[in-house]
Amino acid sequence: MPDATPLPPTDPGRHLTAPATRSALRVQQQLLTAAREFLCGRGFTELLPPIIGPVTDPGARGSKQVDIDFYGHRYKLMTSAILYKQASLLAFDKIFCIAPNVRLEPLETAGTNRHLAEFHQLDVEVAGASRDEVVQLAEELVVHMVDSAVRELPKEFAELGRDPQAFAELLKGSFGRIRHAEAVTELQGIGHPQSADAELDWEGEALLSARRDRPFFVTDYPKGSRGFYDREHPDDPGLLRNFDLLAPEGYGELCSGSQRTNDYAEIVTRMRETGENPQKYRWYLDLVREGVPASAGFGIGVERLTRYVSGLDAVWQASAFPKLAGVVSP
Amino acid sequence: MSDLSAPGFPEEEVRRRARAGAAAAFPPAEEYGHVLFGAGGPDTADRFVRPDALDALRIVPPLFLPQRLAKLIDLGREPDYRDVELTTTIGGFTSALPVYVSATGSTRAAGGDLGLALSRQAGALGIPMVIGENVVPVNGYGRLGEAADRTLLGRLRAYGEELPDGLGGVAVQQSTEDADAEVWNLVHSDPAALPLLESGRLAFELKVGQGAKPGLGGMTVLEAEAAAALGDRFGLDPLFGDGRVLRAATPGTFTAEILRQQIRLMRNNYPRVRIWVKLYPGRDVAEAARVAHEAGADAVVVDGAEGGTGWAPGVFLPHVGLPLAECLRRLAADPPPSLLVSGRIWEGARAVKSLALGARAVGLGRAALLAVAEDRESGLRRFAECLALELRLLISALGKYAPDALDRADVWSSEEF
Repeated sequence: MPDATPLPPTDPGRHLTAPATRSALRVQQQLLTAAREFLCGRGFTELLPPIIGPVTDPGARGSKQVDIDFYGHRYKLMTSAILYKQASLLAFDKIFCIAPNVRLEPLETAGTNRHLAEFHQLDVEVAGASRDEVVQLAEELVVHMVDSAVRELPKEFAELGRDPQAFAELLKGSFGRIRHAEAVTELQGIGHPQSADAELDWEGEALLSARRDRPFFVTDYPKGSRGFYDREHPDDPGLLRNFDLLAPEGYGELCSGSQRTNDYAEIVTRMRETGENPQKYRWYLDLVREGVPASAGFGIGVERLTRYVSGLDAVWQASAFPKLAGVVSP
Repeated sequence: MSDLSAPGFPEEEVRRRARAGAAAAFPPAEEYGHVLFGAGGPDTADRFVRPDALDALRIVPPLFLPQRLAKLIDLGREPDYRDVELTTTIGGFTSALPVYVSATGSTRAAGGDLGLALSRQAGALGIPMVIGENVVPVNGYGRLGEAADRTLLGRLRAYGEELPDGLGGVAVQQSTEDADAEVWNLVHSDPAALPLLESGRLAFELKVGQGAKPGLGGMTVLEAEAAAALGDRFGLDPLFGDGRVLRAATPGTFTAEILRQQIRLMRNNYPRVRIWVKLYPGRDVAEAARVAHEAGADAVVVDGAEGGTGWAPGVFLPHVGLPLAECLRRLAADPPPSLLVSGRIWEGARAVKSLALGARAVGLGRAALLAVAEDRESGLRRFAECLALELRLLISALGKYAPDALDRADVWSSEEF
């Protein structure tokens, strides 16, 4: 992966007509087509996710939510569909959606090549599933998506200069699995000062990613690094039954997921532990109090996956109308 | 009204309650925003001067002064008080003095140009400043055209414009209600805060509570119109019966695990921001300070039950919470390395005693507001000059030349302390 930081497009017309943009968007379309094929084939129902609501996912580190005036009530644009994914399981046991998310990321993220203020997630949620079952599902889904893109779009890969051989190991499956604590040890061992009780930092993720030849899962993040909805290990308090999927070659995080907490008292307590005010989550807490199914699920960053598969320098190149932190653009 | 009387009984207070009902639990609402209050009690004329256990301590210089000898050797001349170096690390910031300006939030006393003048002067002095809770939900942030003098952004800018290179820093509080307004996320992603963030001079302060009313949330008095604009974001209590309402923020619920995880989440979400934690003077203050420090807080702030700038029920001030001296005693066994304390600090002796008992720096609350009220341009600067001189005189008298050289042996009490 080249290290140069490409500048964001100043001319939307030129960005849209660039051959590389067209190819990346075709790759994206194929990835999504393959995902729908895979998930529908396994009995999932696709839902159209809400864009606004009285409350949204607070678990996005350090980014600001967008407030909107909904007839005098303060509503939010969705930062993720997590609350609706859990609620939707009251209708169907297995759901997915391709959800738009808006997060006003810190200004420093404009130069990371991997953050967009507006992006999409392929969100998947399965009632009754364990963390390990959805890890397996995410692996099979990604293999299917990449395999489909590589088989169907050889011309686009040639146009992008992306050698499909880059996915030889990925297509064999068997993504690696490494616990967060092991990742911390590995990073500290190569001289990176990774905190043991925080999320892997961006540099740390990139370092781990650069040392591997196929995607890998990092599991069991510590409490205090994630939102209230990730379930705590019953036998290992302080650790969460969650995971990230990281791409190789330095591309970093593609996907986050977890087994969910669905116990009312535990959710309220965890909300306090994450500094949230339970009062604003009333509709969600009322549902949880009545009972929502236990579940596990994940969200794949669509533009990030497209960037990795297309071999792009920056994630904004995988969006037709990219929004970067602090950059005014269409 | 009958002619019944009850000598030796607080008859007038009882009669005031009989007249005013629940409103009598507070000082007269007319005083709000004009009178800062202290643990001497709203009914005592000497509320600012009543001595407490900290005042009763004496500062006791020794006759033999090995640290002065070391300074003499270093300088090649006899050191004097001007050789005391007051520059101190406070919660990850470098401060010109072992002093910071305590939180003043949305309270009226700190509103308007007083809050801005305070910010400017604290910035010019190069001492850290805390911006209190509820400023954003009540006065706005300042990006969308609200009156700049009351907003958080207005105070941030005023402070930053005067700040010398390498000194000072701003700690921004967030209460439970502020969490809904995402104050920290807002500041963290705002261009105006970027210079502070990039120079390591931005902190977020998790407010567990305050000294004036331990166990309660922030309180202010609002006119009906201002209260209506807050909608359902705050608890509003129309107990004054004259259109004015009590706006009460919730104190928030904490356990050791909730405190630990909130601090970890702050460190996780804002890796370049310093993390401060403000504790009220509760009976388990030592344990809470330990939890906060172990979870990674850069500063633990303890606000003694001495007074405040907002509003508090009369029954709390004289009866609720540990005095600052007792907090320091309970923290003495294992004080967090960056312990900051506040509570009726205004002159050098109380500051030196606090530093000797384990504090790294002391906070100015009422004193800073009064100094700025005296002179918007230079009141706090002159006040700080006087305080700095007293600190130098006292610390050098102890044969020491830096605030962090002070220790327990530098103070004496007639009782077991």
